[in-house]
Amino acid sequence: MSDNTTYRDFLNEKFDIGQLFDKPEPLAGVRVLEVCYVVLGPAACDYLAEFGAEVIKFEGQKGDQMRFVTPYAYFWKNMSPGLEIENHNKYWVGMHLGHPQGKELFLELVKKSDVVVDNLTPGRMAEWGLSYRELSQINPGIIQLHVSGYGSWGPWTGRTSYDAVAQSMGALSPITGFEDRGPIKSGVWIADWITGLMCAVAVMAALNYRERTGEGQFIDYMQVENVIRWLDWTWLYTFKTGENRKRSGNRDLAVCPSDLFECSDGWVALAAFSEEEFRGLCGIMDRLDLYEKYADPLERLQDENARKILEAISQWTATKKVAEVEEFANRQGFAASRVLTAADAYHSEHYRQRGAIQEYEDPVYGTMAQECYPPRMSETPSRVKWSSRPLGFDNRYVFQKILGLSLEKIKQLEFEKVIFQWNPDIPSQCPPPDWDGKSGLKMP
Amino acid sequence: MEDEKIVGLAINQEFARWAHRETYPPDTFKKQEALDDTLVLDVSHGSFAGLFASSILSEMGAEVIRIEPPGGDLARKMSPYGMMIKDSGLAYLAEARNKFHVTLDLTKEEGRKIFSRFSAKAAIIIETFKPGYLDGLGIGYRQLSAKNPGLIYCAIHSYGQFGKDAENSANQPGYDIVDQARGVIMSITGEPDLDTKISPKYKRPLKHGNWMGWYAGGAWAAFSLLTAMFHRRKTGKGQFIDCAPPEGLLSIANYAMQYFHMSGEQMPRAGNYDYAVFPYTYVKCKDGYTFISGFTDPNWAALCEIMNRPDLKEQFPTIKERLTPQNQPVIQHEIETFTEKYTADEIQDMVYQYSKREDKKGTVVTGRLESPRDVLQREHWQERKTFIKWKDPYYGELLIQNSSFKAMTKTPGRVKWICRPIGADNEFIYQKYLGMGQSRLKELKQEGVM
Repeated sequence: MSDNTTYRDFLNEKFDIGQLFDKPEPLAGVRVLEVCYVVLGPAACDYLAEFGAEVIKFEGQKGDQMRFVTPYAYFWKNMSPGLEIENHNKYWVGMHLGHPQGKELFLELVKKSDVVVDNLTPGRMAEWGLSYRELSQINPGIIQLHVSGYGSWGPWTGRTSYDAVAQSMGALSPITGFEDRGPIKSGVWIADWITGLMCAVAVMAALNYRERTGEGQFIDYMQVENVIRWLDWTWLYTFKTGENRKRSGNRDLAVCPSDLFECSDGWVALAAFSEEEFRGLCGIMDRLDLYEKYADPLERLQDENARKILEAISQWTATKKVAEVEEFANRQGFAASRVLTAADAYHSEHYRQRGAIQEYEDPVYGTMAQECYPPRMSETPSRVKWSSRPLGFDNRYVFQKILGLSLEKIKQLEFEKVIFQWNPDIPSQCPPPDWDGKSGLKMP
Repeated sequence: MEDEKIVGLAINQEFARWAHRETYPPDTFKKQEALDDTLVLDVSHGSFAGLFASSILSEMGAEVIRIEPPGGDLARKMSPYGMMIKDSGLAYLAEARNKFHVTLDLTKEEGRKIFSRFSAKAAIIIETFKPGYLDGLGIGYRQLSAKNPGLIYCAIHSYGQFGKDAENSANQPGYDIVDQARGVIMSITGEPDLDTKISPKYKRPLKHGNWMGWYAGGAWAAFSLLTAMFHRRKTGKGQFIDCAPPEGLLSIANYAMQYFHMSGEQMPRAGNYDYAVFPYTYVKCKDGYTFISGFTDPNWAALCEIMNRPDLKEQFPTIKERLTPQNQPVIQHEIETFTEKYTADEIQDMVYQYSKREDKKGTVVTGRLESPRDVLQREHWQERKTFIKWKDPYYGELLIQNSSFKAMTKTPGRVKWICRPIGADNEFIYQKYLGMGQSRLKELKQEGVM
């Protein structure tokens, strides 16, 4: 038996953020070729990149569309925040894979790579002669993942999907929203991010299998199906009752109480499902009568009972401050927290201590403070090294280091428009206006 | 299967046929499993983050042992309106796949001894208790890794195991609503702040309808477990993984944090609008709602052409006008005067016809807001085996979502069985791993350990 203090000391040492860069990266030595644009594909590769994979991102002449997707058309040092968020630690190459010479260079890289990811229209890579059939012939260990809304075959293959389409076609938006109001889209491109995450899971499973057997494989992943997969009890409920799942705002229909409540100074999310937790809550509310009546969690889930209980809690929280309810929860052993905003998270000591938010000095953009992908791993932690980059920023580094191309050859490829860098007329492809011409270049 | 159902709208039909052959659902069980050398103990309690993590590993072939207290996991009771099928709610039945279910009382000395012995054989342990709970019982990472240095131990909790808030709130249990609330996304999800026509009572943070906090937490846990396994295969080393689901949401909260860092401003709740890409919205149509987009200049031109509204293109010529928050309700309304005249399918057809025009200006995307009932009827999902419908010998007729990893050509994800009753695998599992026969189990049962 041990007390909590020594457990804490142990953890603080194990997860010491000061030692982040002194620990190994779990995916060191894994090279990923990213033929992706917008959010989903780049996010999948970003997750791998923050855990140490070497991700080489290919962009066409127009650049990733996210170079133009930015809140209120706001650009920061020429950079689009929409591009930054799913692109860290990557190497940036401007090259069109449909060009015969581009294809040749790409295949040379495939020989020396582990993973190829694309989120183009299904079949586009095949049109270019870059499907798994071709890639596996030159590198049998290659793992190729394609992700699209509806996958590479089936009645709906080839239909375009966006995040919001996946949210609607997969029935997430229809079950999100208040009881008596219309469907609501997530505040973020959630279907892109979570599908990218499951793509990264699939790649990791394939890498584990390859580690065992040396075999690579092709993975066909579907964005809309991924949303379907994440909707917990929705499908069994419809199957059993014939009814659609109703929108219920912040109330959890399968856990009671679990809802968002209004306090005198803001909102508090609160849950207390086990008998013990519910007793703790009722005790502090001075409503042990509720506990006596509804000790059984299943009783509480009956619609009529749930409404009574939630109403009683909201009457109680109305007279309390958010911090008070949080403190009661800490003491009584139920769950309660304020709703964190971006500013709250940004200033949170907790998230900084944990490395959930990391500050670093980017050679192109200066000081950055942003999320680093979870979870926290004691021996092989994730880390942010640098931010997004102008179009074709790392051409020279990639082609010289990996393929041994001479500077003359690289210049010739540029001249022939096989590879390219940012167009000075398109600011969001460019370095910051005051860039010194060398900071951040891997081989200045 | 008919060829047209395979090739759909594919730009390269031959590739579609190849992909179909290589990921043909009936062949799944003829193929290998990526993780069938991995033993996982899932001792999570009252948490679908833990359950989803172990579901993913089990779909990939890991042998997952669910360890529940003798009365069953609290998660079995988390079910809409309290609907139960035998000993399990609907949510549990969706995430019990492929797992062996045993019982063990960790509050008893004998239970802890058995857990400790069992752990020595495992590659992975997943737990979701209050931070430090198992450590306090003498069966946390510190104690177990001393005997099994290759152990990968994943603790999932809303506040994590360390850090200021974890210290203050270590006595709180983890729940989805708190995961969502602490993940920032909830603060910017909900009815639009800037729309004056909406009553203030709806202007509050809104969670996703599903357990997005728990599922995101579970997926991040699975991702890192596979990453740690990859490291372990190379080095033999295990580690401690501290998974806080809110960080899984925080880190995918679009540019909320970056925009704050860059501009010092916070984004408001946008509802179905989007201040970085618009139109990219849900609009009313004759038979419900549909999504419609036309953001970049060419795509906006295409949308205006489909609607036959050249005036709108003039009025909102660049992304600057279209991203101005005050303009978005105006644009939304104008689009709806068009879409409300048609059904979602009619709009889909118009967009498709336009996409085939030689002189098209750009790409418009649309897609219906599908109800769960709609989704269950769609041919595409039936062909792709998105759902499995089985008659379980104990639980009866069930339908759950299939593995989403089933289209891996060498190691497709799969579902072998849906659920097992509480303690149903005690005999098999304790005999297999710990050599405990029926009479020993009987004793333990009498002592209340199982």
